[in-house]
Amino acid sequence: MLGYLSDFEKTFAAMDDFRRRMERFVESEPETAFAVRSAWPRVSMYDMGASFLLQADVPGLREKDVQLQLTQDVLTLSGERKVEVPQGYSVHRQERAPVRFSRSVALPVKVNGDQISATLKDGVLTVTLPKSPESQPRQIVVKGG
Amino acid sequence: MTDRQLSRREGNASAERLERRVAIAPPVDIYENADEILVVADMPGAHFDSVNVRLEKEQLFLHARCYEQTEGETLLAGARNADYERTFLVPRGIDAEKIAASLRDGVLEIHLPKSQSVKPRRIEVRGN
Repeated sequence: MLGYLSDFEKTFAAMDDFRRRMERFVESEPETAFAVRSAWPRVSMYDMGASFLLQADVPGLREKDVQLQLTQDVLTLSGERKVEVPQGYSVHRQERAPVRFSRSVALPVKVNGDQISATLKDGVLTVTLPKSPESQPRQIVVKGG
Repeated sequence: MTDRQLSRREGNASAERLERRVAIAPPVDIYENADEILVVADMPGAHFDSVNVRLEKEQLFLHARCYEQTEGETLLAGARNADYERTFLVPRGIDAEKIAASLRDGVLEIHLPKSQSVKPRRIEVRGN
């Protein structure tokens, strides 16, 4: 009888342990493992008045690895980041996951598609999107009566 | 409130902002072969001038400052304006003098050569 009881308790202890582990998993995972992968690359955008400036963190990528496409008001950045284990090395830790990505940003106003320029430096892609003339801020002179 | 008080307040606020720089841990790969340990870290936006790699006792400390976009109105904020910072425990037997680091396309590589004494050695077997 005693033996039966302790087995019974053990079952609950195991379930408690399982529940604790699940809670910990649910709490801790999103901002660590998954967040890095789903939000790759990190993108920032700024309104500079006459243009928009978009910056994307694409460490290790070269010009040929990224594609930029403008369809109406949506700018899409896509590409692939491969991670290769250097020849003859064994792996201890690998957090820099290989990723195939596509991120789209809706632009708030029309831009001049012909004058978009993009540069890649220090692993940061910088895209300058000049606003089309009708969307540029205009100063209105206030006249006295 | 006088203008003077107001400006002093603003001054304080900016001073606080300067102190409170956010640091994030860059994702890293760690590889090893017979000669060295290789650490590869993603640090986009870091300039090589600002990268600081230091081995102290058995800890490898890594820090880099990111250049910032200060103009314009932010429409979409990634994790800009954050520094990179990470510390690793390094096994014994690393030749501290020969550690080399390079930064290319926002990827930092740190080569940690093993000292002669811990490298695998081939022992020759002689017949009679």
